[in-house]
Amino acid sequence: METLSFLVDGFAVALMPHNLMFALFGAFAGTLIGCLPGLGPANGVAILIPLAFTLGLSPETAMILLTSVYAGAMYGGRISSILLNIPGDEPAMMTCLDGYPMAQKGRAADALAISAIASFTGGLIGTIGLIMLAPVLARFALTFGPAEYFALFLMAFATLGGITGKNPVKTIIAAVLGIMIATVGIDISTGTQRYTFGILELYEGIDFILAIVGLFAISELLFFVESRIGGGGKKIKVGKISLTFKELVSTIPTQLRGGVVGFIAGVLPGAGASLGSFISYTLEKQIVGKKGHFGEGDIRGVVAPEAGNNGASSGALVPMLTLGVPGSGTTAVLLAMLISLNITPGPLMFTQNADIVWGVIAALLIGNVVLLLLNIPMVGIFVRLLTVPPMYLLPIVTMVAFVGIYSISHSAFDLYFMVAFGVGGFFLRKLEIPLVPVILGLLLGPEMERNLGHALILSDGDWSTLWATPLAIGLWIVAGLSLVLPTIAGPVLRRKMQAVIKEDPLSD
Amino acid sequence: MTGIGDRIFGLGLLVLAVAYGWAAQQWPEPFGGVETVGPDTFPTILSVILAAGSLYLMVKPDPDAQWPVGKTAFELVVSVIVLVVYALLLEPLGFIISTTLAVGTLCWRMGAAPKYAFATGLVSAVVVFVLFNYALSLSLPAGLLELH
Repeated sequence: METLSFLVDGFAVALMPHNLMFALFGAFAGTLIGCLPGLGPANGVAILIPLAFTLGLSPETAMILLTSVYAGAMYGGRISSILLNIPGDEPAMMTCLDGYPMAQKGRAADALAISAIASFTGGLIGTIGLIMLAPVLARFALTFGPAEYFALFLMAFATLGGITGKNPVKTIIAAVLGIMIATVGIDISTGTQRYTFGILELYEGIDFILAIVGLFAISELLFFVESRIGGGGKKIKVGKISLTFKELVSTIPTQLRGGVVGFIAGVLPGAGASLGSFISYTLEKQIVGKKGHFGEGDIRGVVAPEAGNNGASSGALVPMLTLGVPGSGTTAVLLAMLISLNITPGPLMFTQNADIVWGVIAALLIGNVVLLLLNIPMVGIFVRLLTVPPMYLLPIVTMVAFVGIYSISHSAFDLYFMVAFGVGGFFLRKLEIPLVPVILGLLLGPEMERNLGHALILSDGDWSTLWATPLAIGLWIVAGLSLVLPTIAGPVLRRKMQAVIKEDPLSD
Repeated sequence: MTGIGDRIFGLGLLVLAVAYGWAAQQWPEPFGGVETVGPDTFPTILSVILAAGSLYLMVKPDPDAQWPVGKTAFELVVSVIVLVVYALLLEPLGFIISTTLAVGTLCWRMGAAPKYAFATGLVSAVVVFVLFNYALSLSLPAGLLELH
């Protein structure tokens, strides 16, 4: 009941005209970002952060804008999967399997329509799950002490590495590099200058926004230059919708299953939307069994992963909002926005910044409806934009990233830094060092150090306090398992996913 | 030898870990005495983990990635130079001129015809400039085009 009244307040925030306008804009921009190959959701949200800043948006408006972009990107990813057999973002790669064959059979319009509906159902289920689970988890998280938080952060790195990375050691290295970058600057608790080399610009530390934009946007440009897929732009025909009502009804169980499975996968830290769509597709294939013709354009093969990835994208917001621990690359970028708005994510946010949390949740619900409306009649616009060749698109995207970073501080120094991060990101990606743990390290590093300090002050210097409570021990065990288990199970899962489609190195 | 990329990277990381850890030991003791967790504790832990990870990489490297060579490597270097020069010239030349040049060059190097490439640069520069300066009232440097 309490939740319901909060939700009503949230709607009051989200329905304010300017918030509604930004949600609309975000949903549109997000779909665009999602459908253009090479501009993933994490990348897209990262580029928009500086803009949200310089526009001086209020925290709730900024968060509504970015979560709408996030939700929109999950919708958009499917468009290029279905039409071009190129996933617009990683979670959409499962949609290629049956979406592209459907398009080849001349049912592209049907595939687009049913996947929009499935995305809506998945998003709705995920958001309802978020509404029910988040307050409970937030209340539970209030019992966490500094030691538990420290263990929780470790667990986040471990699970993230276990699932997204091929080589867990490389994930650890990535996370450590991120945390190391975060230690640059003046230590908050003692005032000691760390790794500043006397450079004034480094005293305040390295702004993680420019690091994120550099790592994602600039390295993406360099990857495109390397692969030289500048062309593209072939004519795409969508055709007319021939979807029958009966067919639509027949996919409802698939939609529900996909949404629920996706949500659960999304809540697990580190899993993210890619896993959500993968699991719901495989599950559906098993349930339907031989009756289906998966891989040849089965409509359920389009519905399941789309419901799954949209459910997962809402699910991934649960650990981010309640614990301050993001479950995927894009939620990590959203967390960066929260931190730079001076809002401490975590359980207290639900009481202290209730208007933001519930405004965002209500905006997700509204955004889902908007996206459904936007995606069925207006899909033609997105399809036309898809024909813009990347050789024009990427330089413009890079320029927007430059403008965003420049307009935060009006300093060319930041731009050099961003380019440096981009070059570094390119090398890391080449060496198969995942970027998401780097970003997570950048964001969580200071919190980790602070919690470690607090825990040890409380225990008077006794290090065993870090695993003194049952909860902390549990978190350590999960962290350990998630690093060890995927080295056995991960390659199998990975190989299965890769057998399907060659994967994009930028995670969702 | 396979895995040369990882080995070199591992060596670099090891150097970084040692330098990072060593630097942490050099800081003066903070005012007010040492707590259990001083400013150096956390970096020291990090440097140990990184050193261990880098040793592992050197001992058990993954197979090498395909590294760009020849023309591709040249194009990559050109792109990075364009970005650095863009950052360098943004203020002196002003947003519109520098953006036209930067976006135009990038499009051109990525395979667009020069005419279309620089037209794209100019149009995107003017649109973003007008949008930022007039619609959003955020000032971008006008540079040479500034009206006195």
